Amino acid sequence: MTHSIAKLLRLLGPVLALAMVWVCFALAVGPAFTSWSNQRLMLQQTAVVGVAAVGATLIIIMGGIDLSVGASIALGTMVIAALMQSGFPGWLAALGGVIAAAACGVLIGALVTGHVARVIAVVIAVVLAVTTWNRGIGSIVTLGWSVHGTHLIGGIVCCGWAVLVPLAGRVPVRIKPVSPFIVTLGLWGALRGLAKGIGANQPIYPPSAGGLDRLMRTSESGISSIVPPAVWIMLAVVAAASALLHFTPFGRSIVAIGSNEHAARVCGLRVERTKWRVYMIGVGCAGLAGVLQFASLTIGDPTTAAGYELKVIAAVVIGGASLSGGRGSVFGAMLGALLMTAVDNGCNKLHLDNWVQEIATGVIIVAAVAIDQVRQRTG
Amino acid sequence: MKSAMLGVLASIVVVAAAACEKKPAASGDASKKGVPPATKPITLAVIPKGTTHVFWKSVETGVKQAGSDLGVTIIWKGPLVENDRAQQIQLVEQFVTEGVSGIVLAPLDKQALVGPVKAAGAKKIPVVIFDSALEGAGDGAGDFAAFVATNNRAAGRMGGEYLVKSIGGRGNVLLLRYLVGSASTDERESGFLDAARAQSEIKVISDNQYAGPTPDEAKAKALNMIDQVKEAHGVFCPNESSTFGMLLALRQEQLIGRVKLVGFDSSPPLLAALRAGEIEALVVQNPRRMGYLAVESLVKHLRGEPVEPTIDTGAVLVTKENIDSEEVKKILE
Repeated sequence: MTHSIAKLLRLLGPVLALAMVWVCFALAVGPAFTSWSNQRLMLQQTAVVGVAAVGATLIIIMGGIDLSVGASIALGTMVIAALMQSGFPGWLAALGGVIAAAACGVLIGALVTGHVARVIAVVIAVVLAVTTWNRGIGSIVTLGWSVHGTHLIGGIVCCGWAVLVPLAGRVPVRIKPVSPFIVTLGLWGALRGLAKGIGANQPIYPPSAGGLDRLMRTSESGISSIVPPAVWIMLAVVAAASALLHFTPFGRSIVAIGSNEHAARVCGLRVERTKWRVYMIGVGCAGLAGVLQFASLTIGDPTTAAGYELKVIAAVVIGGASLSGGRGSVFGAMLGALLMTAVDNGCNKLHLDNWVQEIATGVIIVAAVAIDQVRQRTG
Repeated sequence: MKSAMLGVLASIVVVAAAACEKKPAASGDASKKGVPPATKPITLAVIPKGTTHVFWKSVETGVKQAGSDLGVTIIWKGPLVENDRAQQIQLVEQFVTEGVSGIVLAPLDKQALVGPVKAAGAKKIPVVIFDSALEGAGDGAGDFAAFVATNNRAAGRMGGEYLVKSIGGRGNVLLLRYLVGSASTDERESGFLDAARAQSEIKVISDNQYAGPTPDEAKAKALNMIDQVKEAHGVFCPNESSTFGMLLALRQEQLIGRVKLVGFDSSPPLLAALRAGEIEALVVQNPRRMGYLAVESLVKHLRGEPVEPTIDTGAVLVTKENIDSEEVKKILE
């Protein structure tokens, strides 16, 4: 009984916080803030951080952390732009961006669980993919099927990727696990370097946005005339992740590992397997956020999303998650992201100087973390 | 625990609200003080690339000056993170939704900002592009009303020619580029290379390194390539932060005097270094004039007056000799 009330209060917390901020800005700004078109804009501008925050929530509930999420988003935009430049249609390039990010997730998961064989497999697969890139991997995947010998190599690499990683999973060689903070701190720089490397230090300007720019725009008719497709994507991701957490054994094992990893292990949960899968899904969400970021930029930008890791973690914590794991809400994380957009939007509407706005945002983040501490002590 | 959270949030918002309560009133007064009021009040959003470079401070002065001269309200707002394309896009979107009369924009990317500027046009909000180019038609009838900027290629060439002259027309030169995808500095770099490659006895020993957005990154980059810098007789940097970073690196390696530096833009430390002879010359734009002309052309456009599609705001080569001349003083103050 008390447990469910506490749970409800936790969910209500971010709702009330968002409502408070919204009402305060509504009073201070007026119709320019409360207009429907501004609500729509705020939802649209939350989509990138919101989607990334859903993935980060899963990771944080499991007791992990991802500091490299901004770099993953940038990497996503670069992979998408690079694929488009070599003639892929928009949707396939977007898929490529998500897969690239998910591969980074597998790498993080492998390092965090100390699974050295899988680390090597991911690295080999990436190196193979990069070296055979110019030899026709593109036309295989675009279903061009013009099989030159070199194109075959591309196909083999794609299959190799699918076979290599699971196979490596069977190799029982393990090193000591590295803390996710350190792993993702390293990748924070490394993935951004990779993103810059893809474009030889330049942004990539694909010939067109391949229709992906429509994700960030409202259309004349249909459900995307209400809010842009990006917002629907965010809501769908929230719903899916929520269902995953609450209604599947996998979801419950995420919470169990975050609450007490040792107990979860003793109970027979497959901790390592859950871990790398959660990192794959979580960083995959960052890849999807990269798709939305690309939709907004229409170019591949290796420097984009700098500092998003902090925005994302702040959103997750404002949303009621505990940084020590075992607790969190994907819906709350979305509200947390929305709250930060509202602060940004409201401050702009009030024509605040940047320095004031940055202090206000910083105070809110610190307040959210402080509240997390208080909550842990009392609840 | 919930009340604590609400209390904290409430106090933040109240403080934030209080901090800005005065703002609209103050700017309202300013617009009343201005020249005879226009037919209807004009509010312009001016979006620079960043807000912390000295260059943008000077632009801001010009922008605000034009605002009070012409009796229009100015909102000066740059991206929180310097040079963040995504944030600049968001700012344009927010001002379009807010329904300002017009937008003056220094685009961080020649392509990424095309969509948002078109969206502003669709909402009948005219845009003037300044400082850095944007793809698309800037002919009044096209995507934006006018393009107000330094002719960066000519300015870069001017710097290049001076550097070539000051190393005696022969030897090695080195270019430290600024940032990937930035159109204005790309043009300056091309202008410099035009001048350097026009001389058969000049060899460009490096032209593919990027300084990055801040002086400390520029310094680190310069130190990373210090062997090449040592081989060079002259170095060119295309903006304030890269010039300052290179200067710091030259100082640290005690290369001042051996390697001649021509930079771009001015700031108090750069001018001090110029006076001390540590920098040969600075190509200085007229940021105040640029800010002023950008606002003026947008106001003209809004009032239905004809506007030149491209406006060159000029650049001057500042050296130790002419730094105290009247013409240069006026630009630098």
